[in-house]
Amino acid sequence: MATHKVTVRLNQQQLELIERTVEKGEAPDPEALIRRALREYVEAHPPAAGR
Amino acid sequence: MPGDKIVQDLVLEPGTGKALEVNKGQKLRIEQIDGGQCADFNCFNLHDYKEYFHTGRTRHMHGLHPSKGDFLWSAPPRERPMMYILEDTVGTNDVLYPRCSGFLYEYQYGLPVHTNCHDIQAEAQREYGLTPDDVHDSFNFFMHTGIDSGGRPFIARQTAKQGDHVELIALFDVLAVPNVCGADVMATSDFAFKPLRVVVSEASEEELATVPAIPTFVNQRGPADFRNARIKADRELERDPAYSPAFTNYPIRTTDLEVMLSEEEYAALRSLVATGIYGATDGEALRYAFFSWWIEKFMNGPKHFEDLKT
Repeated sequence: MATHKVTVRLNQQQLELIERTVEKGEAPDPEALIRRALREYVEAHPPAAGR
Repeated sequence: MPGDKIVQDLVLEPGTGKALEVNKGQKLRIEQIDGGQCADFNCFNLHDYKEYFHTGRTRHMHGLHPSKGDFLWSAPPRERPMMYILEDTVGTNDVLYPRCSGFLYEYQYGLPVHTNCHDIQAEAQREYGLTPDDVHDSFNFFMHTGIDSGGRPFIARQTAKQGDHVELIALFDVLAVPNVCGADVMATSDFAFKPLRVVVSEASEEELATVPAIPTFVNQRGPADFRNARIKADRELERDPAYSPAFTNYPIRTTDLEVMLSEEEYAALRSLVATGIYGATDGEALRYAFFSWWIEKFMNGPKHFEDLKT
């Protein structure tokens, strides 16, 4: 499966929020959480509809 | 009101205000005698005047027109609910406009000596040793305001009628300071002063039971948490040579987190980037989408975010 590497710049506070969310069981790791967020966000807010 | 155990019951005449001790569990009622009168309002912790009502946090939590079921919050870093709005028979309160002041009437009307909420508050607060510098932005009860299509605030005609009232429950001991708004040449009270009735009474068990549970947080900080808890008693500002900055989480450090996206996920990300509003790069758009999602899904309280209404 083709994959694309995207680099996200985060500070220590943003990482803390991500890690706390992972610790609550929302995803197995930060990368999985971000991927889940992307999928769910785009599904809820299709770009064609605009923001 | 009938059957309430009354502690104080008085009339505020135009041009005046009154500092009232309202203890925890007591109720303050501000009532229209003739109707159409704005009441400006200050509030302090009775045992620590440095904790006082904050329009900004209250506006953030409850919007521009707080009403029944909302709280009056104290300023950061205290940030505690001070009073609970038990009843509001009108619903036209305002936390957008600042108090009127002597400057305003002199500048806008050419009237150097004129009733104004700042000076009325200062005079009422003087009874408890406070100074004009201690007056803070008002909660404006019965002030009918809005925002026009251009984003500018406006004052609309009064809708409060005779007998209309608000009732506030004190959540800890406070000094509550209502005043008859000093604006008679502005639209605030329809260009006429009217007296207001104020009543302090004991809230009933049933009324106290309506106050929502109030969570506490470590960031609701008081003097015991301050690096400098001493109240400055002189006016001159002088540098502390022993000062060493201790900013929270400083220095801010960034880390580059690599995220591997599937073809489908990457296409979704690119669709966001293509809009031009999520950021210029894939990484910026992914970060924006992530935190937008997080706010929508997990954030408590008002979200204040476009498309993510609470």
